[in-house]
Amino acid sequence: MSERDTEIHAGAAGAVRDHGAVDIRGVSKHYGNVRVLHDVSVSVPPGTFLTLLGPSGCGKTTLLRLIAGFTEPSSGTIAIDGRDVAGVPTQNRPIGMVFQNLALFPHFSVAENVAYGLKLRRIPAGEIARRVERFMDLVGLAGYGERRISQLSGGQKQRVALARSLVLEPSILLLDEPLSALDQQLRKQLQFALKDIQRKLGTTFVFVTHDQEEATLMSDVIVVMDAGRIQQVGSPGAIYQNPQNLFVSRFVGEINEMPCEVVRADGGELLVRTPAGGLTLPAAAARGFAPAAGAAGVLCIRPEQLHVRADAAASLPGMVSMPGSLVEELDLGPVRRTTVDVAGCHLRSLTVGGEAARMGCAGAPCAVLLRPQDLRLYESADARQAG
Amino acid sequence: MYSGERPRPVHYLLLVPVLALLGLFLASVALLFSNAFSGGGGFSLQYFQQILDRTDYQIVFLRTFVASVAIAVIATVLSYPVAMLLWRADRWRNLLLIVVLIPWLVSLVIRTYGWIVLLGPKGVINGMLQWLGLLDQPVKLMFNDTGLVIGLVHVLMPFAVISILSSLLTIEDNLEEASRVLGARPWQTLTRIVLPLSLPGAFTALIVIFLASMGAIVTPILLGGVSQKFVGTQIYQEVMYAFNMNKAAAWALCLLIVSLLGLLALKAIERRVLRNHE
Repeated sequence: MSERDTEIHAGAAGAVRDHGAVDIRGVSKHYGNVRVLHDVSVSVPPGTFLTLLGPSGCGKTTLLRLIAGFTEPSSGTIAIDGRDVAGVPTQNRPIGMVFQNLALFPHFSVAENVAYGLKLRRIPAGEIARRVERFMDLVGLAGYGERRISQLSGGQKQRVALARSLVLEPSILLLDEPLSALDQQLRKQLQFALKDIQRKLGTTFVFVTHDQEEATLMSDVIVVMDAGRIQQVGSPGAIYQNPQNLFVSRFVGEINEMPCEVVRADGGELLVRTPAGGLTLPAAAARGFAPAAGAAGVLCIRPEQLHVRADAAASLPGMVSMPGSLVEELDLGPVRRTTVDVAGCHLRSLTVGGEAARMGCAGAPCAVLLRPQDLRLYESADARQAG
Repeated sequence: MYSGERPRPVHYLLLVPVLALLGLFLASVALLFSNAFSGGGGFSLQYFQQILDRTDYQIVFLRTFVASVAIAVIATVLSYPVAMLLWRADRWRNLLLIVVLIPWLVSLVIRTYGWIVLLGPKGVINGMLQWLGLLDQPVKLMFNDTGLVIGLVHVLMPFAVISILSSLLTIEDNLEEASRVLGARPWQTLTRIVLPLSLPGAFTALIVIFLASMGAIVTPILLGGVSQKFVGTQIYQEVMYAFNMNKAAAWALCLLIVSLLGLLALKAIERRVLRNHE
């Protein structure tokens, strides 16, 4: 291992860093009458890879631009490393940013792009050359310094943009969907490269994406956003296992839904009526609302928690069985996806190992089995909008 | 013609208007050459000799050249702030562009008379300065090089504004923001990113305006006066008053050569300055 590598590791050796914290408190932003952020609060511990995840127009990029200081919040405060940055111009904030279109300077060479920020800081030329070389090495572009930007491939441009920001050793690096323009394979490669670099340097990364798979793969913490509000904050695993509302369960991973009506809610149990009959669930299944008798809800369950049997009367201990008819079976490499029509709802099940015997042809009777404690009950989206 | 379709013979008829124009152009250039190099019944350089031997004519070429360079530089520099304003004015850009182009909607002669009203000895500017007590005698702003430069800069500035603006508009979104995040103050972003990237437009402006003022006629006549000769006005006089077509043709070819030399010089400078651009 070269001397340079050890230097970089030394920087990240202490897992606890004193800078790189972002604290966002009660931030709202509106343009005229349009509110793009509603009372957003999130705190980013130093050294975290945090992802803002949401569909386009959810306010994630606006939040990033607020941290960068391109715009100021309408209300609320943003603190970086414990210091309120209201009114601090972008160039004085300890941040770096990688843009969606990368925004490389076309009239500079690769090395000149990377050196730009160092030159502005009036660092001696020898020192600049040393640091530029070190960071070009880090992003895997050693020897590319003299190239023109137009001579680089998409992935190489990404790496230049990254090096240009990281060479200034910012406390926080903001990344605005930097991988969205790349093809699938290159994207995968760079996802791992980014995560690796983040781990080596220990810099706080705030990453924006609309791709839940990308978010799951890279992040320590995911902030799911929709319609200008934070929907849920947590580790990728926690968000997948325990989505707080219908939006999150739909947006992160695949989900089966079945409409239902609450019949009785008392003590530790909920009785709901579904098109496939009555079900009893633990009271803890209800998320984000207090179910009352007569309330409309949506029952959700992950595909891997459903089991399909060819026998319509099949039953397993501790499981509820619902009869249905087979719609299709698809082999997707390592997994098989089986779709079953249960009382008009198409439920999908995922099972590992596509070599198992097939269920039969479409329309064949079968049964869907599930554990009641795997079910989640959410307030139906229509009810939420009306309320 | 639709893409992928091979042109059929009948399609070549569409070239007729272009070929007609091209033919007329080539014929007149041929006529120009034969006029310039004729004399004494055969090939001769006598008309060139008549022009090049006279010191006052050499001075006319020098004046035209220096004035054209000055006009190109002044117009380009003055156009920068205007182009930047238009670049920034997202919503008002088209409206402001019309304002910039209004001079072109007015006939050249009327526009130049407007300048006479402003610049003349009894014009608005002299009147103002005298009324303010800053001047006792009117300053001469017309029928000299000052008037000529002012007039041509005004006429040609819209070229520069448009060409600089088009260069500015090709600057990718976010480059300024990227520069700011990397620690640049606004003026550093301006001098290191925006100005260098708009230079191709500035060079186009310089070249177009230089060539246009080298061949200018109306403005030099009306604002420059009779005594302050320009190459264009010389040719005009040879054609309209002396009826010496041969000498006029020789003048025109000399003008072409001087313009070409200027153009090559500007191109060489452009290549040096823009060697880093794609």
